[in-house]
Amino acid sequence: MSAQSPGGGSRLTPYLQVAPLALIMLAMVGIPIGTVVLLSFWESDGISVYPAFTWQNYRDVLSTGVTLTLFANTLKYAAIVLVATVLIGFTCSYFLVFHVRNLKWQIGLFLLCTIPFWTSNVIRMVSWIPFLGREGLFNRMLMQSGLTDRPLDILLYSDFAVVLTYIHLFTLFMIVPIFNSMAKINPNLIEAARDAGASSWQILTGVIIPLSRTGIALGSIFVVTLVMGDFFVVRVMSGGQSASVVSAMKNQIDQLFYPQAAALAVLLVLVVVLMVSAILRVVDIRAELAR
Amino acid sequence: MTEQSRIDIRHVTKLYGRTKAVNNVDLTIDGGAYCCMIGPSGCGKTTLLRMIAGHETPTSGSILIGGTDVTTARTGSRGTALMFQNYALFPHLSLTDNVAFSLRVKGVRADDRRQAARDMLDRVQLLHLADRVPSELSGGQQQRVALARALINKPRVLLLDEPLSALDEFLRLKMRVELKRLQNDLGITFIHVTHTQPEAIALADQVVVMDHGLIEQAASPREIYNRPHSPYVARFMGGQNVLAGRVDRIDGTTAVVAGRNGVSYDLTAARGVEPGQNLRFSVRRDRIAVRPEAAARNGLTGRVVNIEYQGTYVKVALETGLGEEFMIYMDDEDYFAHPHRVGDTVHAAWDASMNHHLPGTNDSTGTPHED
Amino acid sequence: MSQSSTRRGMGFYLLAAFFGLFVLFLYGPMLMIFILSFQGPTGGLTFPMRGVSTHWFNDLWTSSRYGDLGGAFRRSLLLGVMAMAITAVVCLFAALGFRRRFWGAGPIFYLSIISLIVPGILLGLGISQLFQLLGLRLAWWLSALGAHLSWTLPFGLLIMFAVLNRFDGSWEEAARDAGARPWQVLGLVTVPILFPGLIAVALFGFTLSYDEMPRSLLTVGGRNTLPIEISNMTTNVTTPALYAIGTVTSAVSFLVIALAFVAIAVIQKQRSRARGRTE
Repeated sequence: MSAQSPGGGSRLTPYLQVAPLALIMLAMVGIPIGTVVLLSFWESDGISVYPAFTWQNYRDVLSTGVTLTLFANTLKYAAIVLVATVLIGFTCSYFLVFHVRNLKWQIGLFLLCTIPFWTSNVIRMVSWIPFLGREGLFNRMLMQSGLTDRPLDILLYSDFAVVLTYIHLFTLFMIVPIFNSMAKINPNLIEAARDAGASSWQILTGVIIPLSRTGIALGSIFVVTLVMGDFFVVRVMSGGQSASVVSAMKNQIDQLFYPQAAALAVLLVLVVVLMVSAILRVVDIRAELAR
Repeated sequence: MTEQSRIDIRHVTKLYGRTKAVNNVDLTIDGGAYCCMIGPSGCGKTTLLRMIAGHETPTSGSILIGGTDVTTARTGSRGTALMFQNYALFPHLSLTDNVAFSLRVKGVRADDRRQAARDMLDRVQLLHLADRVPSELSGGQQQRVALARALINKPRVLLLDEPLSALDEFLRLKMRVELKRLQNDLGITFIHVTHTQPEAIALADQVVVMDHGLIEQAASPREIYNRPHSPYVARFMGGQNVLAGRVDRIDGTTAVVAGRNGVSYDLTAARGVEPGQNLRFSVRRDRIAVRPEAAARNGLTGRVVNIEYQGTYVKVALETGLGEEFMIYMDDEDYFAHPHRVGDTVHAAWDASMNHHLPGTNDSTGTPHED
Repeated sequence: MSQSSTRRGMGFYLLAAFFGLFVLFLYGPMLMIFILSFQGPTGGLTFPMRGVSTHWFNDLWTSSRYGDLGGAFRRSLLLGVMAMAITAVVCLFAALGFRRRFWGAGPIFYLSIISLIVPGILLGLGISQLFQLLGLRLAWWLSALGAHLSWTLPFGLLIMFAVLNRFDGSWEEAARDAGARPWQVLGLVTVPILFPGLIAVALFGFTLSYDEMPRSLLTVGGRNTLPIEISNMTTNVTTPALYAIGTVTSAVSFLVIALAFVAIAVIQKQRSRARGRTE
């Protein structure tokens, strides 16, 4: 029967049960976001902010070429990281789901991929420094093997370091959803495709990829929003040479230009929401999750 | 005990939004009776059961148990116990604690309730597994634990929601016998929801056939099977062919009906019908003979479209041009003396007393489950 | 089965190698800083190791160069515990409530998802400015806790949804049928059955809060949390002390993860002794 009443109790029960969450989310997400939007219409003189209604902050942000460069740079990071994490995440999930047959091993290796999620991103970022630095392990190996005679400078404090760190930090956000949607694929489907004469490649492109698309979409949402929301990795790993929208916003905040930062933030969130809804347009995640 | 476990359902309606899951149902179930509610999924039988158990509240109407109005009484305080379709055994408790659960929430001391639970487990022959957890048990064992848990509170009414549907064929037949014996021993009312006709007919003192939130017919199994109220009941319970025709004339108590195929049928006990009226009637499939030539009355001619050997009898399906397949259950010896082949033309005939008028108007096909 | 397991050819080994490299990529750098944190007193930020010592760990606690590390550590632990408790309780009830339809379910759900999507620093800005507008003082135990909850609650809710997917509502009905009152249903049936899932939610609640940085940055007020201290150190500190604090905080994380995993495994084991035994 579809019309059962899980949890029992009166019609009021779900409201009481959800009220704490609703209150906290409203106070700590809804209203603060509203505050940022409000702030983006206020005036500031670099010392203090004044209530007003002005489009000047948006005009300032949109009239400089810097903004475009920032967005282009951020989108470039997001695109590169997205491609890399999809490829890595898909390959690893594919290996775990279709090649590791022992369930205990499968779960164990899957957990191995997810454990770093529960540790500090800052530390995981820092951990690249001894590897990539001028004196780092990688340069040392390159020089010992005779491939170069001078240490490479582009390894650390460069776009390369930023992207590598992003991939390192965020690939697991791709593996988890792709693994989940792949694990739901009925093995009989693969066998049926094989019976029908499909090659391994045809099975991959005709069966597995279409059936994993919910996971790929979910993972993409995670990765895109994480990359676009970051300021710290860009700042540290590029050595201050590159900037993203949020790192620029952080600079404005540090200089107490709150309204300008807020305007930039509103623009960024609009872009992010557009990208997320574009992904949701391709795949109806809610419908697929409910399966 | 008998009066105490009688159930009166009065004008009960249950709305889900605008859907009437149960539509103005009136029903009395005698104390100590074995009642089977049957119907296709979505017919309202489970909703009715859950309202008796108190897991749903009727939108209107009242439910009385032993003469007491329990319409809005709290679940677990109305003398009912529900056995869930999937048993719903608590996965984190041992069998003993599962069975003792209702005593625990009542505040019975740990030693006492454990002893009572062990006695009950003994009764369902599972004492040796008392310390196991449910996931270690087979389906049949889980069902017996669920029974023990339901019975420990000494309910006046035991409600069973498709209790046998999760079991394989062999266990199902075995448990069917056990349920009937248990009900005899306890003498309390059993209400058993099922969608399987043989189960209902084998177990019940009273069968309640439902469709679209309405009770189509509530009667003894023999009555339901032999004298279905409507074309829907006849089709759903199986074993009947449904035919249609127009009343030609009334001869005393017999209505002479002209079938659409031009053959006349004599309905000996069709009360309250008028000449010119369209009606439907049923004929039991196992009371039909095959003749060498077409019968003048009470018979029909068709082409064999399917033959199924059933062990003790043979199902012969005829295409008659009347829109509904006509089925003959033939004695296997008779059949194999003169076997037919698909495509043969066959003449069927039966005694006029086999024609049973279907006064009810529900003409839906139901979903006949045949075994 | 046999037909498919014989196909363990080149493809398997290539993929296995790829997966192995990925795991190395994931853990290698971390392992390196764990080792480097035991540098000798004269050692630097990279290999080679100049002796093995716990010098840099001692340095963390004794030197004043690193600011109030001890206090930050304590605050982060406390915040983590508070966020964990609140996340587990709030998400349990919210997810139970979401099983039914109610007015406003959509907006609350989307608000939670938005909280995951927007840049953390933006939420930090919003919360700090909101406090400013209301004339409230920022404090790590209030504004920063709220900022952490905006991060842990949505995750907890999504995990609780997944946990409840496997929760059969008829368990609660069976309990009510046996006469249990609402609080008995909750305490004797719902919570015990969901307990492994609740541990998972608690694990997320603690670790996400304990390691949170962008949302805390503008909301902690005067007293920093550990991740903020560490991120400041990444630009100021050029000694292996940076790695030492990394090792310490990672050790805390791994300890919590291990505790959660062990607890879940023990419960699952109890509930499925000799699963699949038949009559």
